[in-house]
Amino acid sequence: MATMTKAGPDTRLWNPEADEHDSISARTFGFWLYMLSDALIFTGLFASYAVLSTPMNLAGGPGPAQVVNITEGFWQTLLILGSVLSYSLASVALKAGNKGGVALGIVVAMGFAAAFLGFGLHDLGGLMAAGNGPDRSAYLSMFFTLIATHGLHMIFGLLWMLVMLVQIARFGFTADVVARLLNLRMFWQFQATVWVLIYAYVYLMGAY
Amino acid sequence: MSTHHANPLDHAEIRQGTVLRYIVAFIISALCMGAAMLAVQLKLPFLHYAALVVALTLIALLSQAALFFGLDISRAQIWKSVSLVLTVPLFIISVGLTVWAFSSLYERTMLPPSGVTQPGMSAPAVPGMGPMGAPSQPTLLQ
Repeated sequence: MATMTKAGPDTRLWNPEADEHDSISARTFGFWLYMLSDALIFTGLFASYAVLSTPMNLAGGPGPAQVVNITEGFWQTLLILGSVLSYSLASVALKAGNKGGVALGIVVAMGFAAAFLGFGLHDLGGLMAAGNGPDRSAYLSMFFTLIATHGLHMIFGLLWMLVMLVQIARFGFTADVVARLLNLRMFWQFQATVWVLIYAYVYLMGAY
Repeated sequence: MSTHHANPLDHAEIRQGTVLRYIVAFIISALCMGAAMLAVQLKLPFLHYAALVVALTLIALLSQAALFFGLDISRAQIWKSVSLVLTVPLFIISVGLTVWAFSSLYERTMLPPSGVTQPGMSAPAVPGMGPMGAPSQPTLLQ
């Protein structure tokens, strides 16, 4: 038969050995969950692309094989991976509290990202100049939407990096700044992951 | 979740990154995508070609998850790993069911692509072009 224990002045309702609240982990995990939901947006775009890249949706316009340039896409892949590598190395400098190293890594990452966006804009601009803009066909609408959505993520990442450069200089490595730098690292690595999927599916599978 | 540290730079997610780890992730991802690009030149049958691209992409994604994101079963990362594993089926179901549904729909409601005539249907007006004037090419829906 179970025994009942009455609560008294010495009763503890919590575990005194439990971890203290870890605000950095809570913030990075919350941001991680946001990124998973963001990934579902891309999932919807990939599903739509799969549906609209069929010959029935080309409306007499160019299809994937005529639109994508796999060599240029590969250079973009190297640029975005280089950008992620540079930002990741900045976070290694963060371990040592090296402000200059962190700032250098972020600036180089921004340079690679700007070059990546330049390639993308050149591609989309070329298509539009040839009369193959997003209004040409359902397929091209989806192609532009997918590429532009990823590009917008990159632009917001660049703005975020600019803000972090200012915050590092102004506040140093406080808990808030460190949590934001970690979230930005995840966000940036996520952009490379999405691009690898775009390159594999839209460019490489489309070029067949 | 990891424990709290007085110095934020001592946090587990800061300590986990190393130069070697990130460089290896970069090299594996770049090599996989480069190899997949070269596979385009081989002109393999579509299924072989697609399988090769998918396999190389999976390797690149796994290397990024493990080395860039640092996902593992350590105390600091376990919940990120678990949430990702639980979300991946949603990705597959979303894309897979959409493609399946539209593939079936297209078969029943759309005119066939070029060169394919069904009983009771006339051939495409322009040889090499689809019935709506679109060039044919293999996609996931075919």
